[in-house]
Amino acid sequence: MINDKNSQKIVDFIQNWARKHSIWVLAYGTGCGAIEIPPTMTSRYDAERLGVRGAATPRQADVLLITGYLTTKTLKRVIRVYEQMQDPKYVIGFGSCTINGGMYYDSYNTIKVLDKYLPVDVYINGCMPRPEAVLSGFAKLQELIAQGKANGAQKYKDNLDWYRENQKKIIPNWVMPEYNW
Amino acid sequence: MDELKTKIIERIKANFQDATENNSFNYNRLDFNVNKTTVPSILFYLKDEMGFKHLSHITCVDWLEEGELELIFIVWSPVDKIKVFVRTRLDRENPVMDNIDMIWRQAHTYEREFREMFGIQFTGLEAPQDFLLEDWDGPPPMRRDFHTEEYASETFFERPGREDAGDVREEIIKRSGEEIPDFAKKYSR
Repeated sequence: MINDKNSQKIVDFIQNWARKHSIWVLAYGTGCGAIEIPPTMTSRYDAERLGVRGAATPRQADVLLITGYLTTKTLKRVIRVYEQMQDPKYVIGFGSCTINGGMYYDSYNTIKVLDKYLPVDVYINGCMPRPEAVLSGFAKLQELIAQGKANGAQKYKDNLDWYRENQKKIIPNWVMPEYNW
Repeated sequence: MDELKTKIIERIKANFQDATENNSFNYNRLDFNVNKTTVPSILFYLKDEMGFKHLSHITCVDWLEEGELELIFIVWSPVDKIKVFVRTRLDRENPVMDNIDMIWRQAHTYEREFREMFGIQFTGLEAPQDFLLEDWDGPPPMRRDFHTEEYASETFFERPGREDAGDVREEIIKRSGEEIPDFAKKYSR
């Protein structure tokens, strides 16, 4: 029986196993953290052995890395990029700026808490996190995917109104397309 | 170098009556204070007649207590190896300045930035209103009476828990039993 609860479990297991070994990261860097991505991807740390590799466009990518501070201007683009991404999709907040503002805590132009605007699955702290920390963040994300707990996209769909309200507080002139998934 | 500087001062003073010089800096720097109406003509003169071909920088200083904004143009002569500062003061309440992007095209970018960050209006500047800030409806953020921390805490969310920004080492020791090495203790607050 295919609708059996146990067979669903097996299907989920296989699905999550496949997903966790093909994490494609969107090649999009915000802030200064993007400079840690090339050493992570190249031969010294070689993230591709974990299945982590770059993807050219949002529609091909699974992971959106927010590498560092997000200005209000960039937030607009990031929201748009995130909403174009196809399921499964995950967000990694990278560096202390995404967690609590970091050294830009008093800036007039950068947001401080990323998870009020986008659902974050994994945070990597540090200013800057070294490639080892980045890899451990990816390992944590794989763990969460395997357990089926990396459900930020579902959270975003369910609480879209709350996220929209927060986003529109920062972006008063809202001229973005409404995506219906 | 000193001969060259005095020669420059003489030529500038002969042509621009309101220019006052400040020659108290060592080596290759020279300052002139002028009225804001003289700025385009003195910059034209420096560029075309005296070989100061390169516009190094334009910057703005907010003199809050005196109610003035100061614009500083730094020009550089590649032949004489001298840099000249041209300073002018604008009224802080209604800062209006002549557009100089026909002298150096790169001044265009500076002027757009000053318009946004300091609220200085350049007459005859043709550029879209938005440059670095989008949808901005506050006071110009680079002025000194703009409280950036206040604005940030009003506008953006804050993560609770670390408002005091205190030392967390004691707490870490309590939780994990980890010991601080001796060399690190002297850095404790």
